[in-house]
Amino acid sequence: MQWKLFANLAEIAGERTISLAIDSDATVGDALDALLERHPSLSDEVLVADGELHDHINLLINGTNIHSLSGLETSIEPDDELALFPPVSGG
Amino acid sequence: MSLSLDATQLDRYSRHIIMDEIGPEGQARLLDGSVLVIGAGGLGAPVIEYLAAAGVGTIGVADDDIVERSNLQRQVIHTDENVGVPKADSAKQFVNRLNPDVTVETYETRVTPENVEELIDGYDVIVDASDNFPTRYLVNDAARLAGIPIAHGAIYKFEGQITTLVPDGPCYRCLFREAPEPGSVPDCATTGVLGVLPGTVGCIQATEAFKLLLGAGEPLEGRLLFYDAMDMTFETVPYQKDPDCPVCGDDPIDSIDHITYQDGCRVNITSEQ
Repeated sequence: MQWKLFANLAEIAGERTISLAIDSDATVGDALDALLERHPSLSDEVLVADGELHDHINLLINGTNIHSLSGLETSIEPDDELALFPPVSGG
Repeated sequence: MSLSLDATQLDRYSRHIIMDEIGPEGQARLLDGSVLVIGAGGLGAPVIEYLAAAGVGTIGVADDDIVERSNLQRQVIHTDENVGVPKADSAKQFVNRLNPDVTVETYETRVTPENVEELIDGYDVIVDASDNFPTRYLVNDAARLAGIPIAHGAIYKFEGQITTLVPDGPCYRCLFREAPEPGSVPDCATTGVLGVLPGTVGCIQATEAFKLLLGAGEPLEGRLLFYDAMDMTFETVPYQKDPDCPVCGDDPIDSIDHITYQDGCRVNITSEQ
């Protein structure tokens, strides 16, 4: 699967698109764990203490928000694109 | 529509009038229309420029800053000689030189929970060209209560996010429930910004404002448009109304009295009871 990061998340990671190999029964949560393992500095930006996503962070699978699916439990396919983005405020 | 176009206006707006999609009726609608631009900075500058050029009859400009030299790399309506002048006044000078058909209302103030309702009252469209989360959440919440659509745009270094928030569609909080903690998403002053970036993003906001005034086309409703200047890519992500949205969901707010517009801009439901 591929991660796509936006704004400060891409900067903290130092890369904007990240391809990761996943197990066949992997979930969004697994892909997120793999991303954060590769970039531990993203954890504070993305997750709150209980392991849930921050309210202002959106996570999409192929353009669909995981809130309208099964959240972090949503299963993913090897060719899925996951996107992670915060709001930006500059003007 | 009480307005009819005079000979000078027929000439000035001829490239609009010649099109079936706008025509003299559409142009009269623009001349009769009103848009409040919140922020006369990087995003607001091209918005004000194109709204004024195209004859939007009333443009409100709300900004409490003064023009600084470091603004001029991107805030194209302000000039070197206006360094030190309030941005709202500088914007008005620009518009007055460009198009005498346009009335500019200046509000040299920060948008606050105390003044926002009065500020936005009566405008057909709001363009959120502000530069901070508290203002963006405040404008979203107050405009939703007042039933006024917002052309939203925001930038970060080389990226833009644009969406249009119409009264019956999802609001900004459906997309981003609360603001990030202060400092977690840095601002332009801290990170820098490509000078032309707000030009591109602001022009898209202005396009949306025109469509809303004209009642034409498909607004960028329920869609977040990402612009990446470095990759030169545009991506659109759909989003829906959130039934749990504290502002426009199944149990919506009826005032902004219990919302704190600092830190996370949280809607404090418990204190509402």
